Amino acid sequence: MPLLSGLFYSFFKSLVGKDVVVELKNDLSICGTLHSVDQYLNIKLTDISVTDPEKYPHMLSVKNCFIRGSVVRYVQLPADEVDTQLLQDAARKEALQQKQ
Amino acid sequence: MVLLRSVPPPSEGVRHEQGETTAVLDGKGLGAGTLYVAETRLSWFDGSGMGFSLEYPTISLHAISRDLSAYPQEHLYVMVNAKLNDEMQENAHDDDDEDKSSEEDECEGITEIRFVPSDKAALESMFSAMCECQALHPDPDDEDSNGDFDGDEYDVEEAAPEHGQGDIPSFCTYEEGVSGLRAEGQATLQRLEGMLAQSVANTFHMAGVRTDEANGEFDDGMEVDAGSTVAGQFEDADVDH
Repeated sequence: MPLLSGLFYSFFKSLVGKDVVVELKNDLSICGTLHSVDQYLNIKLTDISVTDPEKYPHMLSVKNCFIRGSVVRYVQLPADEVDTQLLQDAARKEALQQKQ
Repeated sequence: MVLLRSVPPPSEGVRHEQGETTAVLDGKGLGAGTLYVAETRLSWFDGSGMGFSLEYPTISLHAISRDLSAYPQEHLYVMVNAKLNDEMQENAHDDDDEDKSSEEDECEGITEIRFVPSDKAALESMFSAMCECQALHPDPDDEDSNGDFDGDEYDVEEAAPEHGQGDIPSFCTYEEGVSGLRAEGQATLQRLEGMLAQSVANTFHMAGVRTDEANGEFDDGMEVDAGSTVAGQFEDADVDH
């Protein structure tokens, strides 16, 4: 389903430069600025900080990182950066387009 | 299987080779060796031929560490989605090291590896080479990706097998624009960005985008008749309509 990754790829591209928190499936949360994203939703962050330094102290020393898309559980975004209605509308529209 | 003790370093597709690189596995130094960032796997071997290899899907993240107050040398930090002990054998649970988060890990555990090159200027190349190779190994296509998702195994990557499986995916930064997208992707981006640009500041309750569950919802939506209302597919979202 190329649609899904296309939609979120576009969505995350529109958020490049914004501050996000990426929560991994291993429970690590990384706060940083979204530098770039690829079609597999691999994420590069800059100026990162770790929200749970006791658990992963070694992460404190890194500045830029590449996060494999498949290990991401959530991407937390500032609420005022997300137009959820728009996103839903876009998804609906894409679904209808896909059917034509 | 994460570690392949008997597999030699790859001879083909080596994007970056860095000699005089010390490997530190969960805090234990393994001595100096050579790091091979190859398209098939990431390998490190010392002078005597002892070493280990990592499969890219097991690498959760990698990064350049430059803060000398946190670690005395600049290095390439790699987080592996598996538990490895110092005998370089995969271990499902390592109960000996209580400073690890073993009791909190619901899956295989975490291993932190540092590759410390003597040539610090090589770190950027090592990092970039790993990024490129990581992007060559998206998760395999899941047959259940058409809506029957159980949650933790659903990945967006599985939803895009046609998109450049033979291509080399590229990161899209905002400055680069849409050059990496195909025509329909560009149309999507323009449509979406156009819609986003028109949006007025509103109050929203949802602060996160769930890349797994949300995709499942969209996925289900595409299988529903176009004429049916789709409000129900967003019921998991936190937004009050």
